[in-house]
Amino acid sequence: MITQQDFMIISVMLFCIGVFIIVSKKNAIQVLIGIELMLNAAILNLVAFGKLDRANNGGQVFALFAIVLAAATTAVALAIILNVYRRYKTIDPDKINQLKD
Amino acid sequence: MIPILSHTDAQTVNFAIWAVVLPFAAFVLNLLLFNKNRIAALVSTVGIVVSLVLAIKVFTSVWNAPVIHAQITWFIIGATKVQAGLLLNNLSVLMLLLVPMIALPVHIYSIAYMKDDEGYSRYFRYLSLFCFSMLGLVVVDNLIMLYAFWELVGFSSYLLIGFWFTRQSAVMANKKAFIMNRIGDIGLLTAIIILFTLFGTFDIQALFGKEGFVQLSNIAAGMWAGPHSAIPAVWQYVAFAGIFLAVAAKSAQFPLHTWLPDAMEGPTSVSALIHAATMVAAGVFLLGRVYPLFIESELTILAIVGCFTAFMAATIALTQNDLKRILAYSTISQLGFMVLAMGIGAYASSLFHLVTHAFFKCLLFLVAGIVIHQMKHIKDDNNLDIDPQNILHMGGLRKKLPLTFIVTIIGALALVGFVFTSGYLSKDGILIQSFVWAEGKSAVFTIVPYFALLTSVLTAFYVARLVVKVFFGEFRLQKVNPHIHIHMGDGNWLYKAPLVFLAICSLFPLFSNSPVFYEDAWIYKSFLPSNFLVRENIYHTIIPILVNLLAVFVMYAAFAFYGKRNAWSFPQTGLLYRISYNEWYIDRFYNRVIVKFVMWFSNLLYWFDKKVVDGLVHLFTRIGKSLATIAAWLDRNIVDGLLHLIAGIVQAIGNFARRFQGGKVQYYLYSMLLVLAFVFIFKMIWT
Repeated sequence: MITQQDFMIISVMLFCIGVFIIVSKKNAIQVLIGIELMLNAAILNLVAFGKLDRANNGGQVFALFAIVLAAATTAVALAIILNVYRRYKTIDPDKINQLKD
Repeated sequence: MIPILSHTDAQTVNFAIWAVVLPFAAFVLNLLLFNKNRIAALVSTVGIVVSLVLAIKVFTSVWNAPVIHAQITWFIIGATKVQAGLLLNNLSVLMLLLVPMIALPVHIYSIAYMKDDEGYSRYFRYLSLFCFSMLGLVVVDNLIMLYAFWELVGFSSYLLIGFWFTRQSAVMANKKAFIMNRIGDIGLLTAIIILFTLFGTFDIQALFGKEGFVQLSNIAAGMWAGPHSAIPAVWQYVAFAGIFLAVAAKSAQFPLHTWLPDAMEGPTSVSALIHAATMVAAGVFLLGRVYPLFIESELTILAIVGCFTAFMAATIALTQNDLKRILAYSTISQLGFMVLAMGIGAYASSLFHLVTHAFFKCLLFLVAGIVIHQMKHIKDDNNLDIDPQNILHMGGLRKKLPLTFIVTIIGALALVGFVFTSGYLSKDGILIQSFVWAEGKSAVFTIVPYFALLTSVLTAFYVARLVVKVFFGEFRLQKVNPHIHIHMGDGNWLYKAPLVFLAICSLFPLFSNSPVFYEDAWIYKSFLPSNFLVRENIYHTIIPILVNLLAVFVMYAAFAFYGKRNAWSFPQTGLLYRISYNEWYIDRFYNRVIVKFVMWFSNLLYWFDKKVVDGLVHLFTRIGKSLATIAAWLDRNIVDGLLHLIAGIVQAIGNFARRFQGGKVQYYLYSMLLVLAFVFIFKMIWT
């Protein structure tokens, strides 16, 4: 029997892996993958708790929204990465340090 | 000018001012334009010639005429008005004439005498300065200016004594002269201050003139009363002592006479002008100016000191071997005669002797200059190691320097007081009056004229010795060194003209139309008070005859001793000889006692200054320095340290904080996570 708690543990593990990827990887694409993992951890939470709302299926619907939005943001992020590459000839986040004052 | 002068008087005053100022103008001109130029001599000589002409004009219009006294207001302090001006009476115009009259031959002589000297123009500059000071001294009418010129005379004398300042002895001599003159200056200043305190004026005419304050003042009941106020009588004696010190220093009288023989370090022409004729006469002149100040007992002191000085100097002159030193002591002796004459009330004779002495002593010094000059030539030509001033090397010079020899004889006879010369008229006058003066007094005072007479005899002896050693016998230097090359002569007219002029002035016709009776001399008559003595007693006949007979005898004796070189001569080991030769040990006494004491005291003060005063200062320095060191440490470590600490903290925080702003996206995220984690941890701890 898969309980609510197992979903939560999976979700936390996914989130933590995502955070680790974001802060450790030297490639912007991989960072983007990390972000997707974290998003999916959240979505997994929405779906898991959606089981408790049988009448309206609010959790499931909200998860669908989030997946669509995630696709859209990923497109935007890829476009940004392309532009960054054009400007700096690299997509290593360590080399792109012009955000400092 | 007050009071208003008539036209001729104003002209006379102008002439007098110009006569005084011209040598000063020559001095300034030489200083500014002809610093290293031989024209300087011409400038100075022209200055003194014009000065002489003007002085003659002033003299002819003032002599035996009413006194001219012109003054302007100099400055005002409170209610005291100080006037400056000229006082032209018989005394001052006589000196005004005498100074350029002596100075002119000396100038002419110096042109030749100094021509090979490096300091040729400097010499004439100083000479002009001296003439200016001396002329100023004799004409000024108030004591302040008198004092100023008195100092200037001393200063220019100092410059000229030390003219060859590379010689150690010259430097010592001018220092000595200056210091001794300072002692006299202090005396004069004291006297001036006392006179001003009592009478409230510096004006010589108001103080010492006819019916002047000093004449109207009197000493009664222990008080010295002037017309306006009175002060204790002791101040009168102090004033006298001050004047006496001044006179003793300037005119080389007994306690302060030792500078004059040493002053012979200067060029001989300078000695002739300053240390024989003019400057040393300034003391006697001062006595003449302030004569009414003295009371009976003070005059007696003057007479005794003058007599003692005359006698002492004459005894010293007997044994000296330095040509100029003999003449210097002879000058001191004659000055002693002048002071003696002042003391016995022979005012006129004293000034008369001053004038005649100026001429013949100047003449003798110029002669000495020629002789020394020639000896120096011989010394330089033959590379001999001799003292050119030592008379023991000379002898037989009469054939080589005929004109010099003749004028020397005239000068020497005048100095001895031989009949037909000017010295006879003036000196025998003094002798006669000293006998008259002693007549009414106790037996003690009769020593004075007898000592004066003895001095006169001694004078005859040392003069004869000098003349014989220099001009008669054989040339001893040649006798010792037979092979030396000798080339000597009287020199050109620049040497001869002054000698001849002064020799003529040393004879009687300039001063009197009678060669025998001093009472007929015009200078003597003009200074005489109304109640003068006529030839009333036996002294007037006896003394001159006695003096002349003795002089002839003594001179013959000296000639016999020194000229013929008889088998016997004077013992050179006796006590009297040693006293005389060592100048009565006075100089040695001063060196041993006074100089030593002063030096000891100075060293003590120096030690005190170095150890105590400087020590205190050093102590303060050290305290200050250590305090400063502490303050510096505090400043550096505490005050600065605090600031540095704050700055360091801020820096550390900054350094720490800036790490978060590295511009790297992942760090931002990382820090966000950390903050979040902390928030959760804190939240867990608190709840």
